Amino acid sequence: MGPVHHDLAGEPTFEPMIQIDMEIRTFVSAWRHCDYVSTYMARMISQNRSDSVRHSNLFSSAFNELLEVAFRTRHADGALACRVSRHGATDRIELTFPCLPEERQFYEEAVSQVAGFEARERYLNSVSGDLAPSREIVLLELAVDYNATLRVEEADGDAIKLVVDLPLEGLQH
Amino acid sequence: MSPNDLLPRFKAQYDANNQEFSISGVVRPQAIDELGPSIALLRDAIGRVRGVLYVNVRRLTQMNNAAFHAFSRIIIDACRARPDLKFVVITSSVVGWTSRKFGRLSGIEPNVTVEEYDSQFYPGQGFLEEGGFVPILRTQTKMTWRHERAILPRHGMRPGIVMADICCGIGDFAVLVQKEFQPSRIVALDHSISSLNYARRVMREFDIRGIEYTYGDASEMLLDEAQFDLVTCRHSLQIFNRPELILKELYRICKPGGRVYITNEKNSHCLGEPRAESIRWTYNEVAKLFGHFEMDVELGPKSRRYLMEAGFEDIRVETFMVTNLDGDPQDFADVIAAWADVYAGEMATRRGDGPEFVARFRQGFQDHIFAALHPKGYAGWPIWVASGRRPQ
Repeated sequence: MGPVHHDLAGEPTFEPMIQIDMEIRTFVSAWRHCDYVSTYMARMISQNRSDSVRHSNLFSSAFNELLEVAFRTRHADGALACRVSRHGATDRIELTFPCLPEERQFYEEAVSQVAGFEARERYLNSVSGDLAPSREIVLLELAVDYNATLRVEEADGDAIKLVVDLPLEGLQH
Repeated sequence: MSPNDLLPRFKAQYDANNQEFSISGVVRPQAIDELGPSIALLRDAIGRVRGVLYVNVRRLTQMNNAAFHAFSRIIIDACRARPDLKFVVITSSVVGWTSRKFGRLSGIEPNVTVEEYDSQFYPGQGFLEEGGFVPILRTQTKMTWRHERAILPRHGMRPGIVMADICCGIGDFAVLVQKEFQPSRIVALDHSISSLNYARRVMREFDIRGIEYTYGDASEMLLDEAQFDLVTCRHSLQIFNRPELILKELYRICKPGGRVYITNEKNSHCLGEPRAESIRWTYNEVAKLFGHFEMDVELGPKSRRYLMEAGFEDIRVETFMVTNLDGDPQDFADVIAAWADVYAGEMATRRGDGPEFVARFRQGFQDHIFAALHPKGYAGWPIWVASGRRPQ
């Protein structure tokens, strides 16, 4: 592994690996796009992981959930950008997609709750509850089952950027 | 949209004999309606069983949260409506997320337990995976490689191919192939974590590129189908109780027109001079000992039949004999001594063999070593090589 780089703010530098951009109209035209994009990108970025096949399966599993969240956006215009970068054992997904202002507020609240200490309990309650998993629960599950950390960043226009760090190498055998 | 988009990519089944509901493949529905028949099947299974319902997700490659929630709800509801019923969810450690995700269910309902299947996967192979065996495995590969490097090109090995080495063990064969033939990519799979850790360490220390080691179950691999020009599987069908399941998978991942290459032994044909009788008796007993643990170390000559029955064509079979004359006779002797330790040691003890049998059994190995090191002696270990082409 090469030297660790840090930017001026002290956060480690994530090296870009792959990016896919699509018109959101194109993306939401077929549900299967979530599966295609997550599978393709997982294979591309897993080649030099210690166990490429298992890493690819895990990454695709987590990334597909995020893409399914983006698929349900109510904003019909703009672009979807999926970017993956890496720092050591952690892969970072930056998913930018159009959303309405009220949706942005929802995501900000959902992500802030993911970090809460009762996240696991809330996730378990949702599994045993009657309602189908909401977008908030999907984000919670990433934290609970994949040890992901999540945050929301500013994006241009009517868009939101979800930043998800996945330390999947640590989940390997 | 391609026609493939319309095909279901998962399968749900119920086996009434084993009270087992299984679901496999990629389950990523947009709406729960898409799961209707599978959910009905699970509900129906719950209605029929008594005692325990096994839920087998070993071959479940992907399942999104929507589908997971739908199936979980049915299981949780059933636990609450029927406290007499227990659920055992069988996951695979190969698919990293399944044990974590399904494991949550046991935290919600005590009547749900989650078991990882792979710990029981190869019934007898634990004997051969202990750390002390690694130097011997390396020596064995060194001895067989002298022959196989000349044999492999007759079975499809050539530079630039994409190949898989299934049941790669400590990965030494993959490394030798990489150096000798320069395939463009090697995926090497094994279910032994300690062996893979060793293989990765070697790869790092010697700065070897182009090999991807992956953890997996040879009879149910995560690898995509039809992606390899050559698939090798050495000395492994013989220590698996259902070799036809592995061959089915080797066939699946091989490209049409590509080849599957297997090597196996016929242990009762190990030989030596002098002291041939004692040696022959012991190796006949080796075959019976492995048979006791559901392993067929007489499989070598059966390779042709297995390949034909798996659907291969253009089947090629040849044999070679590793002998004490190939290199340093001490290498040969070291390998026999290691076999004696395991076969006349832990395996014989586990079978319940008495001291008289063990003494005679061990003597045959000693005589094989004697033959190997004797200035006029000859000692041999025969290997069967076979390959078949997947039809276009």
